[in-house]
Amino acid sequence: MNRSPEQSAALYWPVQVNRNNGLVGLFAVVLLFVIAYGVLFPGLFTLSGFAKFTQSWFPLALVAMAQALMMLTGGINLAIGATVSLGAVIAATTMSGPLGVAGGGAAVALAGLAIGAATGLIVVKLRLPAIVVTLAGSFIVSGAALLILPRPGGAVPDWLSNLLAGNTPTAFVILVLVALLWKLYMATPVGLSLYAAGDNPVGAYRSGVPVDAARIAAYAISGLLSTGAGLFVAAQTGSGDPVIGTAFTLNSIAAAVLGGIGFLGGQGTMRGALAGSLLLSLMISVMFFLGFTPVAQYVAQGLIIIGAVALPQLRRLKR
Amino acid sequence: MTEAAPLLAARGVSKSFFGNPVLRDVSIALLPGRVHALLGENGAGKSTLINILSGALPADDGAVEIDGRPVARMTPSEARQGGIAVVQQELSLTASLSIAENIGLGAYPRRFGMVDYRALAARARSVCALVGLDEPLSTPVGALPLGRRQMVEIAKALYREPRVLILDEPTSSLSATETAILTKLLERLRAQGVAILYISHRLNEVMALCEHVTVLKDGRVTADQPLAGTDAAGLVRLMVGRDPGDLFPRWQPSASTNPVVSVKDFSAGLARDIDLEIRTGEVLGIGGLVGQGQEDLLLGLYGAIPAVAAAAKVNGTSALPAGVPQANALGLAYVPADRKREGLHLIHSIATNLMLPDLARVPALRIRRRSAERATVRDLASRFAIKGDPARQAQALSGGNQQKVALAKWMPHDPLVLLLNDPTRGVDVETKREIYIMLRKFAAAGKAVVLLSSDTPELVHVCDRVAVMREGRLVAMLSHDELSEERIVAAAVGAGRQKQAA
Amino acid sequence: MSATGSVAPRGTAILRSRPFLTFAVVAAVWLVAGLTMRGFGAFGHLRYLVELAAVIGLVAAGQTFVVVAGGIDLSVAAIVTVSAVGLPLLSVPGDPTGLSAIIATLALATAIGLFNGLGVAFLRVHPMIMTLAMATFLQGLLILIAGGTAISLDNPLVTWLGNARPIGIPVGIMLWLVVSAAVLVIMHATPFGARVFALGANPLAATLSGVPVNATTIVVYGISGFTAGLAGVLVLGMNGQGYVGIGDPYLLASIAAVVLGGTSILGGMGTYAGTIPGALLLVTITALITVVNASPGWRSILFGSLILGLLLLSGRESARR
Repeated sequence: MNRSPEQSAALYWPVQVNRNNGLVGLFAVVLLFVIAYGVLFPGLFTLSGFAKFTQSWFPLALVAMAQALMMLTGGINLAIGATVSLGAVIAATTMSGPLGVAGGGAAVALAGLAIGAATGLIVVKLRLPAIVVTLAGSFIVSGAALLILPRPGGAVPDWLSNLLAGNTPTAFVILVLVALLWKLYMATPVGLSLYAAGDNPVGAYRSGVPVDAARIAAYAISGLLSTGAGLFVAAQTGSGDPVIGTAFTLNSIAAAVLGGIGFLGGQGTMRGALAGSLLLSLMISVMFFLGFTPVAQYVAQGLIIIGAVALPQLRRLKR
Repeated sequence: MTEAAPLLAARGVSKSFFGNPVLRDVSIALLPGRVHALLGENGAGKSTLINILSGALPADDGAVEIDGRPVARMTPSEARQGGIAVVQQELSLTASLSIAENIGLGAYPRRFGMVDYRALAARARSVCALVGLDEPLSTPVGALPLGRRQMVEIAKALYREPRVLILDEPTSSLSATETAILTKLLERLRAQGVAILYISHRLNEVMALCEHVTVLKDGRVTADQPLAGTDAAGLVRLMVGRDPGDLFPRWQPSASTNPVVSVKDFSAGLARDIDLEIRTGEVLGIGGLVGQGQEDLLLGLYGAIPAVAAAAKVNGTSALPAGVPQANALGLAYVPADRKREGLHLIHSIATNLMLPDLARVPALRIRRRSAERATVRDLASRFAIKGDPARQAQALSGGNQQKVALAKWMPHDPLVLLLNDPTRGVDVETKREIYIMLRKFAAAGKAVVLLSSDTPELVHVCDRVAVMREGRLVAMLSHDELSEERIVAAAVGAGRQKQAA
Repeated sequence: MSATGSVAPRGTAILRSRPFLTFAVVAAVWLVAGLTMRGFGAFGHLRYLVELAAVIGLVAAGQTFVVVAGGIDLSVAAIVTVSAVGLPLLSVPGDPTGLSAIIATLALATAIGLFNGLGVAFLRVHPMIMTLAMATFLQGLLILIAGGTAISLDNPLVTWLGNARPIGIPVGIMLWLVVSAAVLVIMHATPFGARVFALGANPLAATLSGVPVNATTIVVYGISGFTAGLAGVLVLGMNGQGYVGIGDPYLLASIAAVVLGGTSILGGMGTYAGTIPGALLLVTITALITVVNASPGWRSILFGSLILGLLLLSGRESARR
């Protein structure tokens, strides 16, 4: 257990390894599901099969990360679904127009950052509960989506759809990039301070951590991830739909909770949230392939979520 | 010693919370190379003063000066730039971050905008070596026991290379070895010219380490003088404002005692294999170092945590209460140590707090009789001398009055057994005295009082018997004529069985 | 700030209380809108608004209990739907009044709520997760029961409940009045109500004060299930048919009504007396936005902004945990 000082010279990796504590069970379950899925659907191991699978996981992964960020600050975001829809309609209305894909992409990113930062400012500076602000915010954001595109329509250029949602695993590559960017962010002082700001805000403030800035930054990034998911969904469907994101609010919470993110702030890791979203995505796919009716899918999903949350508690009670 | 210019000073600082003045016109000056003791009872305003000196709280009135220059509305990061570091009593650590990440928090070394883990590791390792932390730096703080976390907190302050180091009860959860390391460290820092403000309840530490003392009593400075020529009794007199002996009522044995609770091989939480008899008509003290299972003993008896016993008799029934409501029905009442978290509903009115145990017991859907409730509240408030309008929120009350509410709310139950968890912690002297008198009165009236206390003199002077716990076990039961602070402390540290390194 | 269950507001305190202020806002809006907009102030229109508010008010009654107790119930919309879709299927052939179907439906809704409470109390599942999972579960159940089709109502009592107007007042409003009175009495005049407040303000202190915390939690969620079920019956009566998704608007509406009424989302403080005008305010805002004749997008934006604005004006809460 005790390392000599020379051996512990590299600090970063041991810290990362320690963050896996408590997630091993989750990783094992995810692996089990991946194997089950691979057996049921051997196409997973072809390039296009793998691409299709990661594409079904990708938007959920992004919103799970977005929700996990909010939960790490000690809040919750009920506007994620609306923000995804907004991202989708902005992408579908701008990318085929004069702005082009680059301009449209920038518009999507800016909208996400702006919505997130505004929400964060209201919650942090005005001290309103996040759940209520994001509830009201969900109306505003979904209203904005309806304004931009009152009914499904618009278009995303075919080449972009093919690139993101075609037979190449571009989505997976992007996800890896996002995860790497997240690692980079968590290695910055503001990123790392997020844990302190969520877990022990008073202590963090006394330690000189810019608590407010860390939280607002988290909100902004959360918004960016949500509209990013929207862009992807638009690319998947080839067009925009102002209510396409609705289901993501609840699924993002479910995925984050499955991934071990706590409601009190400062508990949990992004790799957990990713694993949680993968698990949820796999569950849905596996049940589909097993021929579960939608009913059984919902029922099983509800039971599994409760079970995953209640299990640690039951184990503690036994002790 | 020649007077150097103070590195950090407060001039005429005042502060109040919810209309209660906590600090009144307080001045203090911290000089380089001097260990300055700040003494005062719990609730005297020490923590508030520290928070003002470190920029965590703004003062209502008065000024904070760094190097003689007044700083308006200092923030914690400005304080850090001014070279001020604080070891908080309530730790400022984050459970999910590693030791090194906690130590550097708010002041990470950077490289290309990123946290420079290599530099962080090097600097964290050097401060960890100073305080004797040899756990891997990557260990999450949440995995450490309390004493080690305290050392991380100290290392975190040292990491900031402070010119002014403020330590708020740094030794409260440290072992003797760790305390010795800290003492040596502070002496070295003093030699380097660091100004140190040291807060502790352990007077022998203060006498050994400090040169100057400022005493706070009820938010005012009552003494600001060199320590030389003062002894421990003198310090107590400065803090309490009277001779220590006067604090306690004269002890008288009760006329008759009767066992009301008895357990054999009782275990709950940290408490293990305890045989105990609680008798009506006496105050039974429970002592020992902090966190030896005393609290779990009370909570287990009260049915608040799972407990087992080979045999148990509680007020006539032969089983432990299965839950709090059942314990209440058997005549047990519990007053927790942490009033704010466990004892009171701070956002509710005093009246609501006072009525709650009663409302928890009567049939759920019976219509409440407001006039009767008001009469009860009035009666309790006057009987316990609770000041203020009972319609005010409980958080507006001072610590002493809050404690009285936490105690008074059980009186409508007329409990037979009162389990009290450190009821005088953070309570002013007058209220302490009132509480002691009340406890003796309860005993005289034929109730059983169990007094868990971290304050050894109070165990000696108020209790009929004292049970001492160590590592979850009951290691001594001292009768009244055996009681002395020395005996209790000796049993608490296990000095009878083995000599421990000091 | 708001009533905590023991201190009766006196004199000017009433004028500054949240329920009164919310009522005042509703009255002011009605007055201004009634004078400036044709048809808004007509008795029939206002009656219609209150009738719509009754459904929200019923759902929000249970939600108020849950929020005061420190939780939140995200399954109310699903329970409303279960009740509206399930009632026609639960009718007993031999009962011409339709009463047995209502009783069976309400029992089912209450049982769902109690089950939520069991999970929160004993499994220590966070209320948001427990009720969310329950909503997911019920969604599956609903598809099983109803498929995608609307189920039409054939129950005289429910039809009467949703449409009859003895002495000119819809039965739904009368039902809301009765439920409101009962909720206010339970909340503020019984020991049970005091326990709910204590539980929400500080569960640990409540436990140590002898409050039967688990039982109180379970009952609170049971009440929420019951009132959501009742709202489902009323909605079914007003609509004439039940379909999957009929309850969806009531989740956010119930939470918004509770918060607009001044109940702390953090628990321990508030009153149903605030939720009542909160529900009226919500319906009024919606009606005004409809009158403005804006596009659905603007309507939604206006609605969210107004709620946010009202919160900013009144609902600041200092951070507490």
